[in-house]
Amino acid sequence: MRLNLTAVSSPSPIHCQLEKMIATHVSKPKKVDKKKRRCLAIIKADYNVTESETPTIFLAILNAGLCNGLTEETLLAKATAHGKVSQVLMLASKSYCFLKCASIADAESIFLAMHNVSTIGQHGAVCYLSYVTGIPQLEAVENDWNKPLPKGLILLTDFITEEEESALLKAIGNDSRSNEGNMKNRRVKHFGYEFVYGSNNVDSTKPLECRIPTACDFLWPRFRQAAAENDLQGLDWTQPDQLTVNEYEPGHGIPPHVDTHSAFLDPILSLSLESDVVMEFRRGSECTPLLLLRRSLLVMSGEARFDWMHGIRPRHLDWLPTATVSLTMEPRRKRTSLTFRRLRRGPCHCQFPTLCDTHQSTAPKLLMDTLAKQAVSLEQQNVHDVYNKIANHFSDTRHTPWPKVSDFLHSFDPQSIVLDVGCGNGKYLCCNSQLLAIGCDRSQGLLGVCNSRQQSVFRCDCLQLPIRTASMDGCISIAVIHHLASSERRLTALREMARILRPGGRALVYVWAKEQRRDNNKSSYLRQNKAVNKERTTEQAQRQHQAAQLEHKINPPHVSLPVHTNRTEFQQQDVFVPWKTKDAEHTTFLRYYHVFEEQELERLIADVPEVFLIKSYYDQGNHCVIFERAVS
Amino acid sequence: MKLSTYNFLTSMAIKGVKVGYPLKLTINKKEVVETEFNATFVERLLPKLDWSAIYSAAQVVELTDDIPAVQPENIAENEQLMQKLHHLLFEIDVLDGQLECPETGRVFPITDGIPNMLLNEDEV
Ligand SMILES: [Zn+2]
Repeated sequence: MRLNLTAVSSPSPIHCQLEKMIATHVSKPKKVDKKKRRCLAIIKADYNVTESETPTIFLAILNAGLCNGLTEETLLAKATAHGKVSQVLMLASKSYCFLKCASIADAESIFLAMHNVSTIGQHGAVCYLSYVTGIPQLEAVENDWNKPLPKGLILLTDFITEEEESALLKAIGNDSRSNEGNMKNRRVKHFGYEFVYGSNNVDSTKPLECRIPTACDFLWPRFRQAAAENDLQGLDWTQPDQLTVNEYEPGHGIPPHVDTHSAFLDPILSLSLESDVVMEFRRGSECTPLLLLRRSLLVMSGEARFDWMHGIRPRHLDWLPTATVSLTMEPRRKRTSLTFRRLRRGPCHCQFPTLCDTHQSTAPKLLMDTLAKQAVSLEQQNVHDVYNKIANHFSDTRHTPWPKVSDFLHSFDPQSIVLDVGCGNGKYLCCNSQLLAIGCDRSQGLLGVCNSRQQSVFRCDCLQLPIRTASMDGCISIAVIHHLASSERRLTALREMARILRPGGRALVYVWAKEQRRDNNKSSYLRQNKAVNKERTTEQAQRQHQAAQLEHKINPPHVSLPVHTNRTEFQQQDVFVPWKTKDAEHTTFLRYYHVFEEQELERLIADVPEVFLIKSYYDQGNHCVIFERAVS
Repeated sequence: MKLSTYNFLTSMAIKGVKVGYPLKLTINKKEVVETEFNATFVERLLPKLDWSAIYSAAQVVELTDDIPAVQPENIAENEQLMQKLHHLLFEIDVLDGQLECPETGRVFPITDGIPNMLLNEDEV
């Protein structure tokens, strides 16, 4: 038996719009017929699936699907009340979906009960069903109960008895010293060490007062015993020093994630208490569900621990395959999981780089040397050439001056002369009309935009400003020097700005910060990642997805750097940031960035003797400094 | 390129160049765009400008009858001169031409109104 729950992406959501217009309330036969025909035409056009005059086991729900808010749960709840269903096919951004029934009799019964009756359409609209000759055959089957489990994933059932289960729950529930917190969708307690969700790591220097409860002690010999019985002696079964307890109410879940490589060793052990739940394991487009039975021990090791993400969908019902050809639904009950881990206290040396924070974050000296050596050609290829190619599109996305930059420009006396180093499309040149503002940039394309707006600009490199010494009252350089590939070059750029300032002249410099959140607030850059913020996906999933997408699409740049995933946290300081064009080709360009650590910009300023720091601050994901040329 | 911008440009970044100022300006094509005259603006700007480059610009656009080689005293009281300076600095837009380093002769082209001051790696 194959049982597929499939969600795949498909082209053009345009039909959704059409469907919204079609869907109304219970309709007269003639009207129904007309609507059915229109929907069937769309389905035929999309997937070449046609209506069947006689009943078949395949049903199309013609006017309700993912794009108008129908969920698999709702559909299954309605349909399985009337007949057995063996497969549900929901399609991303489609306003229809499909059921494969266990038999024609099941299909007929579901058809009779739901067609022109069931109000699962958008805004409670009645839905229309039709027998079809088949359901779309999709290559990418995302979810499959029959697939082998990821390597290194083991489920040991009946690992503890019911008595032991209640003893554990009691011990944990009673431990009021534990470090407790509420995540968006679940309750969490930490023992041994706290896992800090902001940094996604543990602080190994700060053990918690409350160690793992002694009630867990019977587990340690049992781990070793289980290892012997299941031929798992190859794994490290040393007693864990960290325990995370998650309490899930029905409807709660945990987004797909990998346990931070550098935080914890291999394997990770998780005990399920109180009820069963379906956990999903994901790698790229692969997805394997696994029913975590109550009182079972899940062992995630090797590939399963390092290269696969695991998560639980926030649902009230899990559907499971049964021995017969059908799906059953199991309402969720409260579940508690005990995850036992051991701290790594050092970098990770795994063989799975995609989700490895160590692999992503090490900027060894070797890389810095390479960058310094290749700086000129890297900046040429992955900064200047790219900006020239994307100049117009880039300019269209940069309209609004940042308020604090604007404030700075308004802090000058009228008739002050200010140079904008790396002026881009010149949005700051017209910020304060009382100033004589001059701009310069490397990109001829962007300078053309400025010139067409009657702004005074010239072309140069920020490492050699062709400007008289001590001639400027002010200088700004917004989001520029993070494109320079060595710390020496970044310093040179600052020295040039210092040189052209008159004594008492002030400069403002913005660079992109590696850290994109402050005081638990995400920067506007991260806030624009709607899919992650609404917990439809995770940053890790987006990284995996992008890695797969870019694999063949990009000419390898001559310096090997990780490609950052847009609108996610930076994993490292020297990265390529993709820019996807909006035209039909969707060409991806890679821009080189060095994102700054906290205090890094201040340290550079300290190396410029002619100036002193007036102020440094963090503004929406940027590190910013204002410095003044000393009166010597 | 406005001649106010010209006043700040130098070729001093070139290896071996000591002053690199003022640059030798050649105009092939220019445009005159009238802008509102603001005496205070010009007056407050003057101390920040270099008169030698003002004068060399005036020579190129043949305004030396109006603009003297040496900055006169009490210039703010000379409304007519202020207007000429305004015209010179803000109304003349060089669309095509070049800037030349006075010491090395290196030429920086001005194309479509934008001076290209970019240097090659081996020049710095
Ligand atoms: Zn790793």
